Amino acid sequence: MSEWTTDLDIRVKLAVYRGAAERGVLPRAEEVASDVSATVQDVRDSYARLAQRRLLVLEPDGLTIRMAPPFSGVPTDHLVRSGGIAYFANCAWDALGIPVALHRPADVESRCGQSGTPLLLEVGLNGPAPSSWLFHCSVPAAQWWRDIVYT
Amino acid sequence: MLFFRSEESIDEWCRSRESPRRPSVRIDQLWQMAVAWYSTRLDPESRRPDAAQIRGIFARIGLKGDFWDPQADAFRAS
Repeated sequence: MSEWTTDLDIRVKLAVYRGAAERGVLPRAEEVASDVSATVQDVRDSYARLAQRRLLVLEPDGLTIRMAPPFSGVPTDHLVRSGGIAYFANCAWDALGIPVALHRPADVESRCGQSGTPLLLEVGLNGPAPSSWLFHCSVPAAQWWRDIVYT
Repeated sequence: MLFFRSEESIDEWCRSRESPRRPSVRIDQLWQMAVAWYSTRLDPESRRPDAAQIRGIFARIGLKGDFWDPQADAFRAS
């Protein structure tokens, strides 16, 4: 085990991420607690540490996960379908991050931020099909985590 | 962090929101960003890249300058 986190944190992180990968939705704290044989309070404490490491973004209750990047806990404009499961991504970057994290091909459904024109991007194991579409981020990297939900 | 179908669409989006025009990123570059951030995310010991690693990742992809520097003084102070 490395010094950056506890064994419980590793198990909690895996329960969250693997739960998201298997079902397309982020698990509830009670489910994570059951998975790792810990109390919900232990999971809450672990969530706080994982959030400090920027591996989770929590709602104000400290128990609901808004983001386990690249997975989103709420519906967004970025839908990823892979292996018969639908996932919501936090942003355009994370829309490609989901097939990367899953190591599976996927179809990414999104839209142009300006015109709303639909985007369907087929993503294989080695990347997306050639596309003239672009990605744009208005927030500089040094400010991403000031308000990561806005970013 | 959005997709756009053209440079003109980005220009319009920035103009309509009075938001600064930032560098656009090609889809193949975005894929490399996703690989760098997320290829081990489901592994036990995975973590986010640190600031030095982030600078290296962006430089290799061709994204350079203060906008992509997570510790750029020009943006941290603002």
